[in-house]
Amino acid sequence: MDSFAIETKSLNKVFITKTGFWKNKSKSTMAVEDISFSVERGELFGLLGPNGAGKTTTVKMLTTLLLPTGGTAKILGMDVVKQTAEVRKHIGFAFSGSRGLYNRLTAFQNLKYFAELYSLKDDFANKRIPMLLDLVGLADRADDRVETYSSGMTQRLHLARALLHDPEVLFLDEPTVGIDPVGSRDLRKTIKNLLSLGKTILLTTHYMAEAEELCHRIAIVKKGNIVALDTPDALKRRISGESVIEASIQSDQIQVLIDKLKVLDQRTVITHDTTTEPEKLCIRTTEPGRVLELLSPYLNPQYILNLEARSQTLEDVYIAIIQGDQA
Amino acid sequence: MTHLRWGLIKQQMSVQFLVRTMNPLSLGLFVIQPAVFSAVGMLLSRAAGNSTPDLVYSVIGGGIMGMWSGLVFTSTFDIAGDRRNGMLELIVGSPTSLNLIESIRTFTNVLSGLFSLVLAFMAATFIFGYSFTGVNTWGVIVSLLLLLFAMWSIGVFLANFLAWSRLSGTFVDYLEMPIAFICGFMYPIRVLPVWLQHISGAIPIRWALEAMNESLLGSFDLKYLTIHWAMTIFLSLVLIAITTWMQVKVHDKIRLSGELSSI
Amino acid sequence: MIDKFVHIIRIYFAEAWLSYQGRFAITSPFGYIAGKLGFPFFLMLFFIFMGKYVGFSDPLYIVIGNILLIPASSGMGGVTLAISDERQWGTLSYVLGSPAPRGPVFMGRAFYYIVDGFVTALLGFGIAAGIFGLDLSTVNIFLLMICSLLIAVTSSGLGFLFGSISLVTRDGWMILSTFLSFLYILVGVNFPVASLPMILQKLSWGLPLTRGIMAARLVMEGEGWSSISSLITGEVLVGLVYIFIGYFFFLFLEKRSMHSGTLDAM
Ligand SMILES: Nc1ncnc2c1ncn2[C@@H]1O[C@H](COP(=O)(O)OP(=O)(O)OP(=O)(O)O)[C@@H](O)[C@H]1O
Ligand SMILES: [Mg+2]
Repeated sequence: MDSFAIETKSLNKVFITKTGFWKNKSKSTMAVEDISFSVERGELFGLLGPNGAGKTTTVKMLTTLLLPTGGTAKILGMDVVKQTAEVRKHIGFAFSGSRGLYNRLTAFQNLKYFAELYSLKDDFANKRIPMLLDLVGLADRADDRVETYSSGMTQRLHLARALLHDPEVLFLDEPTVGIDPVGSRDLRKTIKNLLSLGKTILLTTHYMAEAEELCHRIAIVKKGNIVALDTPDALKRRISGESVIEASIQSDQIQVLIDKLKVLDQRTVITHDTTTEPEKLCIRTTEPGRVLELLSPYLNPQYILNLEARSQTLEDVYIAIIQGDQA
Repeated sequence: MTHLRWGLIKQQMSVQFLVRTMNPLSLGLFVIQPAVFSAVGMLLSRAAGNSTPDLVYSVIGGGIMGMWSGLVFTSTFDIAGDRRNGMLELIVGSPTSLNLIESIRTFTNVLSGLFSLVLAFMAATFIFGYSFTGVNTWGVIVSLLLLLFAMWSIGVFLANFLAWSRLSGTFVDYLEMPIAFICGFMYPIRVLPVWLQHISGAIPIRWALEAMNESLLGSFDLKYLTIHWAMTIFLSLVLIAITTWMQVKVHDKIRLSGELSSI
Repeated sequence: MIDKFVHIIRIYFAEAWLSYQGRFAITSPFGYIAGKLGFPFFLMLFFIFMGKYVGFSDPLYIVIGNILLIPASSGMGGVTLAISDERQWGTLSYVLGSPAPRGPVFMGRAFYYIVDGFVTALLGFGIAAGIFGLDLSTVNIFLLMICSLLIAVTSSGLGFLFGSISLVTRDGWMILSTFLSFLYILVGVNFPVASLPMILQKLSWGLPLTRGIMAARLVMEGEGWSSISSLITGEVLVGLVYIFIGYFFFLFLEKRSMHSGTLDAM
């Protein structure tokens, strides 16, 4: 058995939805256009991409919940369409959000319910459930109804549920949404632990630091296609020719400076962060010298409050890739 | 594979019971609404100038109504609720097949409905002094068991149909009264126009119910009863066969259209 | 002042439009109308044959009563659904958290259901004329319309009452549908109120609909305004009482649910 843990070839998914007053028009949405990748056993593979890129759709096809419109996908060498039943035994999956649990039941009862769906032996389940609840930090709330849980707690319970039958391949769709910083760190530790046990994990996330810390390889998905696939380091090297210059600027002068920087070459990406105070311009460029030259006349508190160059992060790469070729 | 395990049955039934049956909703479904239907039957009879109510059709018929409405509603709530709260997806994604789960759940729902019927029998006995003299007891028991079987076969069919699409729930709602009306839940079939009687002949519940009511009314006509029982079994099996055949298609269809969850 | 009024009117219609969209979003107009008429139609047939079996000889009595039940349940169900759906979808907090006045918001939604029930009832009368030979030739159609509309409006007051209950429990909808089934007995839908036991008759006269339905029956028999005016006045008064009780009950429970945090508990 030297098959990949996960292998997709030209995976494609088109949704047909009925619209219009008489529900007689159909509209098709290309959720996934052409996605091919392979994940080695024991690897942690990350899917990143903007909202609506097709990450969840891909995960759902891999977890047998959606039938692909085209292409193939195999889990541990088994086809997700033809060997559905076998695949289901070997995978675990968790989606984000508060759905997917019986609110009127306790955490323990919910897990017990799924233990039965996965045909776990009673005594095994009775040992494993407390162990998992402990693992995700819910041991003391095990007998409370799920409707009384905070969103982070339901999220943790999802992970426990996904791990019930000790699956070889794990799919986690935005597992850390809503989990507090300490909880996320614990969760990342748990995920690394699972890796050391030889599990294969496919993870989607919007947190770049998380992806950078955890993933062996990352695929960046945009509009249903993979636009970049590599290790985090290699992705960062990709734009190593570029520098990042961050300038804190008086809000009313931002446009003036953006106009000044328009003379820079095509590959320069300027992002404007309005969430900070003062507002920030982040300039990704291959011509740092020219940027400094252009900005130097404005280096006074009326315009620029602070200017610094910093090293590339995964976030820079992501933004460069997602925004860069949009122009 | 997805064979029937005792643990699974126990777990499904208890969760089903906790999540759906032990619910204020059930009080309305299994107790109050059937009582209202019984009351309409008795009051109509009173308005028509009769001095005593018809116990078999008005009172026990109310219990049948409760069983049926309960089955239709809980089946709809099961699937629609699971779809809405993301459960359907997780169940389908597990190695246990949805069909197996639906069978067990429907079984629980049918059993819960029995509560309505028991209440109706109790009301008939203790409130209206029904003495059960001359009743064909064995006829009633066999017919009742077959009635449960027929209800179960329809319940599984409905569950599968409900899984088919987000829209099916609306249709199933509109199936509740037509079936009750055409199968004569609270009056004998013979008051219906003949062509409607023919249509109801295709529904297994009708045969079992007719046999049960006749047995309650004291019929020991073995030939009549046997034909009715045989028809119930035959039609239920046909329905189960159709359901089995459809299940595969439904499983594919919902995964193609992405209707396992409401996004 | 006038600004505020325009604002309220706008909220009112925006909400009505939202209800309309909400109902149509899941099905096509055809399925919608079939569905709307389907349940009452078969329920009515069921009652007719129940009546036939026990010797109740006037099927048209049942037909008329059940058609008039349509605007009643639509008006009542409309307001309740407007509130309980919001809660179920978790959007109730946003609505109640907004500064919009509650009256127009929920009445606006109810407006759609009131019109909807009214139109469906008229359609019902048309169909009944075709199928059951209901004779409309001597009927003052205008008065019949007034009665149907009135029934829809007065029952929306009860809707507020049940809708308010959905602020504190998730079972508002169920309580409503249970109550709706009481109407099969209480308000003179399937048999005359006079044939009820005395205690239930008292209850009937304390509910909206009883007088409205009775008035509509008189109109169906060819009577004019003079013979129904007192019934109509009574219906309006009883209806107003319920709308006020319902509305203030709503405001009261809204406050309460803010304390107990039950606004969007599923
Ligand atoms: N069941 C469905 N029916 C129709 N369209 C769908 C369905 N599910 C997803 N889509 C569409 O497919 C596209 C991809 O959605 P998907 O959920 O895969 O995105 P995503 O990458 O997971 O985004 P996010 O980061 O927001 O979770 C979107 O345009 C979405 O609207
Ligand atoms: Mg997603």
